Amino acid sequence: MDSFRPRRRGLVPALFLVALLLYAAWPWLPFSRAAATPPTIVFYGFSILADVFQEGIFPAFQRRWAAEGHGPVEFVSSFGGSGTVTSQVILGVPAQVVLLSLESDAERLADAGTIGRDSWKRLPQSGVVNLTPFVILVRSGNPLGIRDFLDLTRPGVRIVHPDPMTSGGANWAIIAEYGSGARATPGGPAAGEAILAGVWKNVVAQAASARAARTQFENGFGDALITYEQEAIYDRGRGRLHADVVYPQRTILSEHTLVVVDRNIRPRERPLIDRFVQYLWSDEAQRIFVKFGFRGATEGLNAANPAFGRIADPFRISDFGGWREARREIVDRIWKQRVMNQDAGR
Amino acid sequence: MSAAAPTAAAGRRGGRAALPVGIVLLVLLPLILMPLAAIFVFAFRGGAADFFKVLSSKEAQFALRFSLLIAFATAAVNAVLGTYTAYVLSRYRFRGERPLGILVNLPVAIPTVVVGTSLLLLWGPIGLLGRALEPFGLQPMFAPAGVLLAHLFVTFPYMLGAVKPVLDEIEGTYEEAAYTIGANRWQTFRWVILPALKGGLFSGVLLTFAHSLGEFGATVLVSGNLRLRTQTAPLYIFAQFEAGNIAAANAVAAVLATLSFVIFFFLLRFTARRGR
Repeated sequence: MDSFRPRRRGLVPALFLVALLLYAAWPWLPFSRAAATPPTIVFYGFSILADVFQEGIFPAFQRRWAAEGHGPVEFVSSFGGSGTVTSQVILGVPAQVVLLSLESDAERLADAGTIGRDSWKRLPQSGVVNLTPFVILVRSGNPLGIRDFLDLTRPGVRIVHPDPMTSGGANWAIIAEYGSGARATPGGPAAGEAILAGVWKNVVAQAASARAARTQFENGFGDALITYEQEAIYDRGRGRLHADVVYPQRTILSEHTLVVVDRNIRPRERPLIDRFVQYLWSDEAQRIFVKFGFRGATEGLNAANPAFGRIADPFRISDFGGWREARREIVDRIWKQRVMNQDAGR
Repeated sequence: MSAAAPTAAAGRRGGRAALPVGIVLLVLLPLILMPLAAIFVFAFRGGAADFFKVLSSKEAQFALRFSLLIAFATAAVNAVLGTYTAYVLSRYRFRGERPLGILVNLPVAIPTVVVGTSLLLLWGPIGLLGRALEPFGLQPMFAPAGVLLAHLFVTFPYMLGAVKPVLDEIEGTYEEAAYTIGANRWQTFRWVILPALKGGLFSGVLLTFAHSLGEFGATVLVSGNLRLRTQTAPLYIFAQFEAGNIAAANAVAAVLATLSFVIFFFLLRFTARRGR
């Protein structure tokens, strides 16, 4: 009796495991394999790009590629904080085309020898695919009456901010906060630093990416979130925005830089990758970006989206001497060394 | 399970269990039971149709299948490796036996993020072993092989912990008897030790499988998090949650939780039977 009972009892778990294994391995079993796998493009992008690429750009390019007489093409993609993505690419992920939040991450890739120095500047628009200004999201009805970055420095305002170590958006936000003071009249560097210091005193949560910061804010943390306008527009379009958008008088237009990682591209993949890269600046692709709330690489198509807000004094990173200079002066010297240390001493 | 245990106890002890069981349930409610329930509540908030829709998406299906395959492979490799290590540690006396015994148990104590970074630094394109493999066109990191390596490392002690105590308890006399009638080491292992080891092996395999299914910290670093290529179910959950797709995240989480429940159900039933 005892000799066969365990066997029968073990039957259920055994059958369960076999069923599980069969389910897991199904797509790779020889008789279930579909036709030859089509060529793929491995795309990495910073966090807020997931929707526009997966729902807009990828399917549109697949149609375009087929319409041009080629076969199907598949996309393999990953999205995360721009800094995280940059580190992954340096460490060797098989990324072929990477859209970074800021040029300074492209420079990091060049410094590490992963891509050629300034290679992205040979692309259209110096590699800038699209733009979006930085805005402030506040709770519906704006209970704290926040109108500009300066209001975020008031004591008691709780700010959710992405982490500048891993998020490109966080770096743009730092420049936006600093620039809003530095470009004011009377203003100057001291005013910029004062706003930066005041804002960071009020940061209550840091997230790894702009997307993650938005999720925290959506889940009820904090009174204000500094983020890409695109996020707000896209959410509002889907009725998912439960917040008010505050357009500061002065804010930065973030410029998102594309890099092509040559070492991960085999010669026979070259025509496909080149076509895809080119496609991103085509009217068709730019229209998709505008539809999803990004501002186009060129002004022309922006009128198509009435949701874009007006900013009195939009500025660009070139107004601060480009990213290399801005990173050294504003992010590293003022924010990291002065603002953060002063915070720790408190 | 938890509902059946108190009633049985109450039946035996004449209802006196009601108070302690009540206290336990009250304490466990916010700590364990409600968070578990939340997974299912949020997974089904959009209705059953929505649940199956997000679950049948290409990415979710891939993530679940990939996680399961990795878990099967991890359990299979570590079943052999862990049992052999346990056998050697239990049957042979050698210099450095003790330090080795401690070292092989360390993976449970090391933060998984550290495991991920050290694997990257070793097997990555800039690492010692990674550079050695480069000329052959092999690149385990950011590929399924890297995920497997991470899971083997992280779950190694579970197999060992399940098998070694059983081995230590088996009396040497049976093995000696086997040797005296002319059995070699393998035959002794196959016919004397292995049958006694079945319980330990079974629970070790299930524990390894369950932990591999839920591994996150090391995987997120070594996998490259590529959808449809190296994204495991926990990475999918995290990515979807970060992107604000809470329903998609919780649908896959609910499947994982159910799977773990079934696995531990088998495990508990099995250990209960052995205890009898």
